[in-house]
Amino acid sequence: MTATLAFGPPATSPGRATFTALAIRETRRLVLNPVFLFAVAFITFALWAGPDAGQTEIDTANPYPAIFLGGFGMMATYWLTRSMRASEPVVGVTPITLPARTAALCAVAIVPFGYGCLALIAFLHFHSASDPAYGAFSPSARIAVVAGQIVVPALGGPLLGVALGRWVRFPGAALVLFLVLWSWVSLVTVVAGSHPDSAPVAVLRLFAGFTFFALHSDAGGVTAWRGSPWFFIGWQLALCAIAVLVALLRGAEGRVRTRIIRALGIAGVAALILLVLAAAGGFTHPVTA
Amino acid sequence: MVTASISLRGVGRTFGATRALAGVDLDLKPGVTGLLGPNGAGKTTLLRLLATALPPSQGQVSVLGLDPEVPAERTGIRRHLGYQPQETGFPRGFTAFAFVDYIALLKEQSQPAARHAEVRRVLDLVGLGGLGAKRIRAMSGGQRRRVSLAQALLGSPAVLILDEPTTGVDPEQRVVLRAVLAELARTSVVVLSTHQTEDVAALCERVIVLDRGRVRYDGPVTELTGQAAGRVWLADEPDPAAKVSWRTGTGRYRNVGGRVRDDVEHVEPSLEDAYLLLRGGSPEHEPAQEVAS
Repeated sequence: MTATLAFGPPATSPGRATFTALAIRETRRLVLNPVFLFAVAFITFALWAGPDAGQTEIDTANPYPAIFLGGFGMMATYWLTRSMRASEPVVGVTPITLPARTAALCAVAIVPFGYGCLALIAFLHFHSASDPAYGAFSPSARIAVVAGQIVVPALGGPLLGVALGRWVRFPGAALVLFLVLWSWVSLVTVVAGSHPDSAPVAVLRLFAGFTFFALHSDAGGVTAWRGSPWFFIGWQLALCAIAVLVALLRGAEGRVRTRIIRALGIAGVAALILLVLAAAGGFTHPVTA
Repeated sequence: MVTASISLRGVGRTFGATRALAGVDLDLKPGVTGLLGPNGAGKTTLLRLLATALPPSQGQVSVLGLDPEVPAERTGIRRHLGYQPQETGFPRGFTAFAFVDYIALLKEQSQPAARHAEVRRVLDLVGLGGLGAKRIRAMSGGQRRRVSLAQALLGSPAVLILDEPTTGVDPEQRVVLRAVLAELARTSVVVLSTHQTEDVAALCERVIVLDRGRVRYDGPVTELTGQAAGRVWLADEPDPAAKVSWRTGTGRYRNVGGRVRDDVEHVEPSLEDAYLLLRGGSPEHEPAQEVAS
């Protein structure tokens, strides 16, 4: 017995409707994730509570969105990405390829990114760009500083979580990476505090997904450090692109794989250039105002 | 227009130094084909090859006239494929409905109303219609098995690959499952691997017996069963001449194979008898072959 059936034309990419539906599904899973909910709740509370009385520098408040939306967001998307691993024998033989599923997971980063934008607006409400707590930066550079500290980490952390989830099997990998990144930022910040005029230290300080640009001086005033906040945002966005491409690389085949690898090369070069520009631009020496 | 068929030519698969499949030639058409064989015979490897989950080390596989080695054609196959693996893990916190719905979404059923109706249909088919809201982690092993089967039935696929679908499933559900598969097999290629010979006897038109990665038998179930005719008998004691003997529920011994005597009570052979005879009366596990170096 032979039946004749009509089969659809082969295609490697899912339809837009399917991709959108999948991205919405994954987004719903993220916003119900307890880790992410806790992060959002904490940030909301921190923003609602407003600035501490007598706050003389912005750096005491602005790491929170990076830690919670970025760091905890990374852990949430890492869990989200890994959650289907047990079902891979079933999920892996569906028409939606692994890179397409990864792309849908990456799309969920729009939620923490959007919340990061709201957090930035709230932050600027409490810490106006004209506030002396920003130091000697120009008004536009001040916006760049806080955007790079609040909005971009909120995007990059979750994207990094997806990339990590696609490539690393260790269940605690996201927590370990979070602690490593946090330790790195703390270390280079301390070193930068003791060597504010050092160019290599400035490069090390900027070689991260998050950095401080100013420090309250014990002698009074705020010291603005070396580096360009705008180019630093470019470097951060290049890192975001690298995270997405590394995530998409898992399971990619043929021409798609070739394109991803090529794009990775371009993003890597762009990241390097932007890091150099971030270190070379802005103030060439610390300025205390 | 493509015929619902599967073709394998000289297919082999190795895992390191272990040869799981060797020189397999098969043509599968709509209908239910049973896959029998001892543990380690290569059944799961063959099913994974058919389900596009694994590429062959040698030979060519064609499913629905498409080549699974070509990414675009593999996607084309997967659009018409249902696969229930031997073991399915489930994500934490998912209900049966949510899991099957998620898989339906991955099977490109993007319209929510139609997708939900299809999810309800397949859950009803496997007898889980009333348990859609139950968390999978809270379900019994048999119920989880049926959730895994439900996702494979989504969209009434042209190719349905089932790896031990009835393991842990109660007798009533097995009967229901047979009816579902028999109906689907009118137009679809259904391949099921099982250790339950009664399922194969009740459902399959064709049976393939694998042994150490090779096809030992490929033909109608009735023909295989017929090979045991006159070689199965009952006796009050286990017959030393038989290859296999066991005490039945009546207290008498069922003897299979070996030297047949005239002074015994012959009985109708079952597929299990024929399978045991084919295996040389050795139901024990035989490890997969090592690849000759």
